[in-house]
Amino acid sequence: MARFHNQKKKKVFVKLAVKKNQPSVDHITGNKIPKSFVFSRGKLPGPLRQLQMDLRKLMLPYTALNLKEKKRNSLKDFLNVAGPMGVTHFLILSKTATAPYLRIGRTPQGPTLTFKINEYSLAVDVAQSQLRPRCPQDLFQNPPLIVLSGFGSGDQHLKLTTIMFQNIFPAIDINTVKLSSCQRIVLLNYNKDTKLIDFRHYSIRLQPVGVSRRIRKIVQNHQVPDLRNLQDVSDFVTKAGYGSESEADDEAATVTLASDLGRINKASTKSAVKLQEIGPRMTLQLIKIEEGLCSGGVIFSEYGNGDGKKKPEKEDTKKQKDTDEDEEDMNDDQENLEEDLEDDEED
Amino acid sequence: MAEETHVAEPAKAQNKRRVGKKGGSKGKKRPRMLEGMPQNKPKKIDRKMKKLYRKRARDYNSDGDDNDEDEEEERDVGSDGEAEKEGEEEEEEEGLDVNGDDGNSDEGEESNRIQPGITMFVDGSRAFKMAFKSIIKKSVPEDALGPVLSAHKKLIAEKLAEEEAERQVKGEAKKEKQLLAEKGHVKPANYLDLNEKFLIGVATKGVVKLFNAVNKAQHAQKGLDPLRYKDAKAIRKRRKEAFFSALGKTSKPAVDTHAKGHTSKGEVDGEGPAWAPLRDNYMLTNSKLKDWDKMPETTAADDFGRMSEDSSSDGD
Repeated sequence: MARFHNQKKKKVFVKLAVKKNQPSVDHITGNKIPKSFVFSRGKLPGPLRQLQMDLRKLMLPYTALNLKEKKRNSLKDFLNVAGPMGVTHFLILSKTATAPYLRIGRTPQGPTLTFKINEYSLAVDVAQSQLRPRCPQDLFQNPPLIVLSGFGSGDQHLKLTTIMFQNIFPAIDINTVKLSSCQRIVLLNYNKDTKLIDFRHYSIRLQPVGVSRRIRKIVQNHQVPDLRNLQDVSDFVTKAGYGSESEADDEAATVTLASDLGRINKASTKSAVKLQEIGPRMTLQLIKIEEGLCSGGVIFSEYGNGDGKKKPEKEDTKKQKDTDEDEEDMNDDQENLEEDLEDDEED
Repeated sequence: MAEETHVAEPAKAQNKRRVGKKGGSKGKKRPRMLEGMPQNKPKKIDRKMKKLYRKRARDYNSDGDDNDEDEEEERDVGSDGEAEKEGEEEEEEEGLDVNGDDGNSDEGEESNRIQPGITMFVDGSRAFKMAFKSIIKKSVPEDALGPVLSAHKKLIAEKLAEEEAERQVKGEAKKEKQLLAEKGHVKPANYLDLNEKFLIGVATKGVVKLFNAVNKAQHAQKGLDPLRYKDAKAIRKRRKEAFFSALGKTSKPAVDTHAKGHTSKGEVDGEGPAWAPLRDNYMLTNSKLKDWDKMPETTAADDFGRMSEDSSSDGD
C-alpha cells in the first residue's frame, strides 16, 4: 500500500502534446533545434491566459501548443519532461499585484531573464484593430525570424538578452534556407531612453514591384474581373486603379529573390516586402537576470541591488539546490514585489 | 328516483354540492329537461373526447386530497358571479346522465363517474377566468413594491436597500479585480502611429537584409547540385572562402540595427575577431579558462556559458 502511494507521488502531471517525431536536429545544417515550453506559474487572469496561448502560437512549430499544466506542477516537473523532449527554453508567465511578468530561461541550468510586461496587446486585439487581418494557413508552420535592434550599446545584460533571444529560434543557414519558409518575423527593439523593449510579431508578405494592383489581383485570385465600367479590355491593363497605388513603393523595402516564391513573385523581378502585424504585442522591461533557472545569483538587476545580492545568493543556491524549486519561485515573486515597491518609491 | 339509487355516489356528491343553493327548483326542472334531451343527444361526447376529459379532470383534481372539498371550494368561487348559468349547465349534464342510463347502462355509469370531474373543470376554469379578469381590471397605484407587498413596505424597502448596498460592494470588488486582471492590457489603435511605423521599418530592414544575404549566397551556388560529389566539393570550397573573407573583416557593422538571429553563426556575422578563440590574447587574460581541462564537461548550456563568459571578459 505504501509502495503504491509512493508511485503515485512520483508521477509527473505534465500532459504533453508535442509531436514525438519532431526532429531535435536540423537535417540539413545539423544544428540543434531549440524547443520551448510556454507555461504559467500561479493562476493567470483571462487576458494573460490568452497571451500565453498567443506566445505558444508565436513559438510554433517547436513548442508544445497544448501543454496542459496543473496547479500542482512544480518547475521540477517541467524540467523532468524537458530533458527527454529536448526542450531548451522555458517561457514562464506570472502575475503579481503590480504587473504581469515574463521569465525566459534556458533549461536546465539557466540563465533566466525576468521581464516586467508594462503593456501588452493580444493577437485578437491586433487583428481587431486591422481592417483586413491576414492569416494564411501555413503561417505558423515555420519558425519566425528574429530581428534585434538597438541592443548594441555594449552593456553586458543587453548582450546576454540578445544571445538569449537569438537562440530561442532555430538559426537559419542562408545557403540552404527556402524563402517560402520565412513567413513571420519577431522584432525586439530596445529603446535606450526608456529602457523598454518593444516586442512585435509580424507576418511577411512579398509583392512584385511595378505591377498594377489589378493585374496582381487577377493573378492572385484567379477570379474573373469586373469589366462593366470599361470600354475596352485594354483599359483594364492601362488604367490605373486607385487605392494603395498612391503608396509609393519604398526602395529600401524591395528585394531580389533568389528563387521563385509562389505564383506571383518570380526570381527575376523585384519584390516589395510588406509586413503586417499579427500580435501579440508587448512592452517589456528587463528587471533581473539570474544565473540559474529561476534561481541562483543575480547577475543583473534593474534596481541596482544586484551586486549586493550576488554573493550571499550564490551561497544560498548551493544549499538550496535540493530544496523545492517552487519555494524559490515564491521568493522571486516576493523579490519582484519588493523591487516594484522600491521603484514606486523612487518615482 | 331510480336513477338516484342506481348511482349513489356521484349523486351524493352532487347533493352535497347543492347545499343551501336553489335545490328546490331542481326537481321541477328535471322532467322538462328529460323531454328536451333527445335533441341534445347528437352532442354526446364520443370516446376520445371522453378520455381526454377524464384525463383532464384527473389532472385537475390530482393535487387535492379530497375531491369533495375541492368541489365545494370551486362552487363557492363560481357562485359569486354566475350562479344561474351554472345551474343551467348542471341541469343539462344531469339530463345527459339520465339519457345515458336509458340507452346504455355501461356508458351511463362511465359518464356518471367522470361527470363531477368535467363539471368541476369547466366550473373551475370559468371561475378562474372571472377571478383573473377581476384582478386584471383592478387599477394599481404605481409603486415599485407592488400592491401585494404594500403591507411589508417598510421591511422590504429596508431589505432591498441592504441588498442594493451589498451588490454595490460586490460589484466594486469585482470591478477592482477585473481592473487588476486587465492591468497592462492595452487595445491597439486602429491607425499606425509613429512608433509602430518606425518598428515596422526596422523589421522590414531586417527582412530585406536577410533576403539580400540569402540571394547573394544562393545565387553563387546556382546550378550546382549539392548531391553531386563534384558540385558539393565546389560549394564547400566557396563557403570556406566566404567564411574566411568574413573573418577577415575586422570592422563591426556600423549600423545600429543588425539582423543577427537569422544569420548562421560564423559566415555572415562578420565578427570573427570578436570570437574569443581567434584573439591573440585568448586564454591569457582570463584565469578561469587556463584550467579548462579541469572543469567538468557540461552540455548544451556550456555553449551559452562560454558566450556569457566571453562577453564578461570583454567588459574587463
